[in-house]
Amino acid sequence: MTSLELNAVSKSFKNDQVLSGLSLSATEGETVVVFGPSGTGKTVLLRLISGIYDPDDGDIRLDGSSVVGIAPEHRGIGMAFQNFALYPHMEAADNIASPLEARGGTAAQIMEKVREIATLLKIDHVLSHRPKELSNGQKQRTALARALVAGPKILLLDDPLRNVDAKLRFEMRLELPRLLRDFGSTTLYVTQDYKEAMALGDRIAVLLKGDFAQVATPQDIYNNPVNVEVAKLFGDPTINLIETRLTVADGRAQADLAGTTVELGTGYDHADGRDIVVGVRPEAISVSETPLEGALPVELIAVTPLNERVVMLLHLADGTEFFASSPEDGATGTRRHGPAFARIAPDAVLVFDRDSGQRIHPLDAGPQVSGQQTQ
Amino acid sequence: MNHTSTAERIIRGLLLTLVLLFFLFPIFWIFLMSFQTNEDILRIPPSLFFTPTLENYVALISGRLSTVAGDLDIAFMRNLWNSVLLSSLSVGVALILGVPAAYAFARFKFRLGENIAFTLLSFRFAPPLLVLLPLSLYFSELGLSDTYLGLVWVYQLIALPLILWIVRGYFEDISPDIENAYRIDGHSWAKTFRKIAIPLARPGIAAASLLAFIFCWNNFVFALVLASADKQPVTVGALAFVTASGIQYGQVAAAIVLSVTPTLLLALYAQRYLVEGLSLGAVKG
Amino acid sequence: MYRRALPYMLSLPALLVCIGILIPFGTAVYYSTQRYNLSFPQARGFIGLENYIDFFSDSAFWNTIEISLLYTFLTVVLELLLGLGIALLLRTPGRFNNMVSILLLLPLMTAPAIAALMWKLMTNPNFGVLSYLISLIGFDDFRWASSPSSALFTVVLVDMWVYTPFIMILLLAGLRSLPRQPFEAAELDGVPRSFVFFRITLPMLMPYIITATLFRLLDSIQQFDIIYAMTQGGPGDKLMVFQVQSYLEFFQYTNVGRSAALLMVLWAITYFLSNLFVKHWLKLRERAHGNA
Repeated sequence: MTSLELNAVSKSFKNDQVLSGLSLSATEGETVVVFGPSGTGKTVLLRLISGIYDPDDGDIRLDGSSVVGIAPEHRGIGMAFQNFALYPHMEAADNIASPLEARGGTAAQIMEKVREIATLLKIDHVLSHRPKELSNGQKQRTALARALVAGPKILLLDDPLRNVDAKLRFEMRLELPRLLRDFGSTTLYVTQDYKEAMALGDRIAVLLKGDFAQVATPQDIYNNPVNVEVAKLFGDPTINLIETRLTVADGRAQADLAGTTVELGTGYDHADGRDIVVGVRPEAISVSETPLEGALPVELIAVTPLNERVVMLLHLADGTEFFASSPEDGATGTRRHGPAFARIAPDAVLVFDRDSGQRIHPLDAGPQVSGQQTQ
Repeated sequence: MNHTSTAERIIRGLLLTLVLLFFLFPIFWIFLMSFQTNEDILRIPPSLFFTPTLENYVALISGRLSTVAGDLDIAFMRNLWNSVLLSSLSVGVALILGVPAAYAFARFKFRLGENIAFTLLSFRFAPPLLVLLPLSLYFSELGLSDTYLGLVWVYQLIALPLILWIVRGYFEDISPDIENAYRIDGHSWAKTFRKIAIPLARPGIAAASLLAFIFCWNNFVFALVLASADKQPVTVGALAFVTASGIQYGQVAAAIVLSVTPTLLLALYAQRYLVEGLSLGAVKG
Repeated sequence: MYRRALPYMLSLPALLVCIGILIPFGTAVYYSTQRYNLSFPQARGFIGLENYIDFFSDSAFWNTIEISLLYTFLTVVLELLLGLGIALLLRTPGRFNNMVSILLLLPLMTAPAIAALMWKLMTNPNFGVLSYLISLIGFDDFRWASSPSSALFTVVLVDMWVYTPFIMILLLAGLRSLPRQPFEAAELDGVPRSFVFFRITLPMLMPYIITATLFRLLDSIQQFDIIYAMTQGGPGDKLMVFQVQSYLEFFQYTNVGRSAALLMVLWAITYFLSNLFVKHWLKLRERAHGNA
């Protein structure tokens, strides 16, 4: 059942169009991560839903009824702010109790619920502290507890892990999905960290220039980005992008990469002769010292470990930089610098139109367009 | 800067002594005078040694002054009471008018708000007589000439800009998200104002109120022009008293002590806010 | 909608007070263009700028200008120098220095009119302690405020007594908020102290000095309380500053038109100064509160 619905929502400040007609719907209990670089309007979007701002245009519906023009206090939303926004003059317990007080109930009932959630979030020992006596991690948990405590149907989390240290961020990334599932709220989670987005989202909504470029599952976004920009936002190191031209011979598409012809597969007849950008994820490239069928001759320039993988910086024949990554243990003795060969898994090549940056899909086969696409 | 020589320390000490002497001696001396009889006061050379008497204060508080020429009524206690009443009422009204407006000016950037704020600010610096003299002509027509209400209204010229500008600064320092969070929790605007904005701006409100009280108390010209005899505060009353009592210098000194004590005590209490208050929030102490 | 109406509702009372001030102000402007003497109501009438034009040939007016400017100049300069000196003496925070700076606030918190009375008692020719002390160093018959030659000196002294602490406290706040690094660097480099003062301290303190000066200029040019309580503008016309002159013009000579015109001249001066002030002050305030 649809719990949150945005219909062509627009918002501008003075002459600055922040959101231009974006739409989204989230089903009950779902976690949608709104992901995008800073300054794309993620926070504004949450503020429109919570009622801090009103949209210039479009409709926002919670549980099927429009909330445009309804004051924040009547929307029954829970929200955690990036800067925590705790009430500095109240103890942690009163901070957490605030939504419960607004909804009514005896002091004892309220206190019991506060204890319950505080225990769950491991802050029960600091309930009598003022915000300025709390560590950043405790502040963040207090803010989260306050957002969750009343069991809101809609939960808005505005980059809640932004201001906490790396260890805590890691812990919370593991803890949060279970917590959100247990509470059953429909959650909109804002972040600019793609790993956080992939770890937490049932779906990810990629916000670029005031509109969603793509809304899809994490895997889908990663494997089938709708355009170059989305492709670039996910993955570390980022996707390799090489400008070239697509030609079709005997129904098979090919492209020239620094003097070597690479097979792109079938189904690209409609794109014959177009200028394209070829996108290859680093992990789709295997490097070896022996020339394999269709492999590119490269020069291995540098090797660095990254988490459990190693990243290799390669130069193509014409000097173009290229990244490959492979699991550490899969290393075969190719780690010496110097000439090598790089083989690209043929089904992992993404083809984008050079001018528009839009993905060009092969026409006949493949699990291509999935997820919702707006543009 | 820590390498001060002995000579330098001595000079510094000497200068500070002179400074303290200049600024504190008058208060000290008048305080002494208020416990002296007229004979002690008129003695030449003046002496620090005398038998203190409460006679001056008794005369002021009882309201009757016995002189060789006969008994004289003193309205000074009435002046003191007027000062208390006028200053507190004015601050109270300024808070009711000014705090919501200060909040509006801090939170919502709107044209009218800026205009009001700057009009009040510019009249803080305009010659008060410019407003007072025309007012004195039609105060009676408005039925305000013999009322506290009329004076309290005019005293807003002193209290309101102070409250408005200082409290506004404090409201601006509160992150709007703290209020937004409270709204989203389910509390109305009015409750948010009461439970979040006001408590968080409390130090500013307290500082501005104390200062406004002091400035209202110390004001002279407003009441001189507009107050009828029985509504006059101490500043005007003390001057009238000097004229009326002739040579009763002990009582004058006692009247002065009673007039300045409340503000001096408040100032000592509020001193950490004074810098900010005196500069209308331009300099943070 | 509630969001639109709220700010206007909240500021409505303050707006009414504003209007309440602007109406008498407008009336004053109107009076200044009238021949209007309360003693001759039948002669009342519109005379345009005649009140103002008359000022040019009026020696009393020029006397007022001269005395007001002299008073302002003397008080502001002397208070600035003395206030800066005291602030420098009290610069290092510490128990004793803080206590002194608090005690020095007491004159500032004394009502100026009352302060004038205090000094009047101390300078009384019969028993005043200051009259006595000054006679010890040879000024046998020093008449303080009642003598034309020393009246200005006396009121300036009282003004200094009341308002020097104002400058002191602002500059002290300024001095203590200055960053330390330039001073530490200068000390390490062995830079002479006079150089540190004129090239580092003073320039960095300038915003505070400007604030304090503008505040004092605006107050001093309008001084009324001290002078009126002390001498009512006398002896003679020796201390007829703007507001005292217009007060007497109004209540003693009942010449409403002339009094209003005189105040308008003063208003023009303060308007110019307060514009300077507001510009400078907005800058400071932005710095003090940041852009929340």
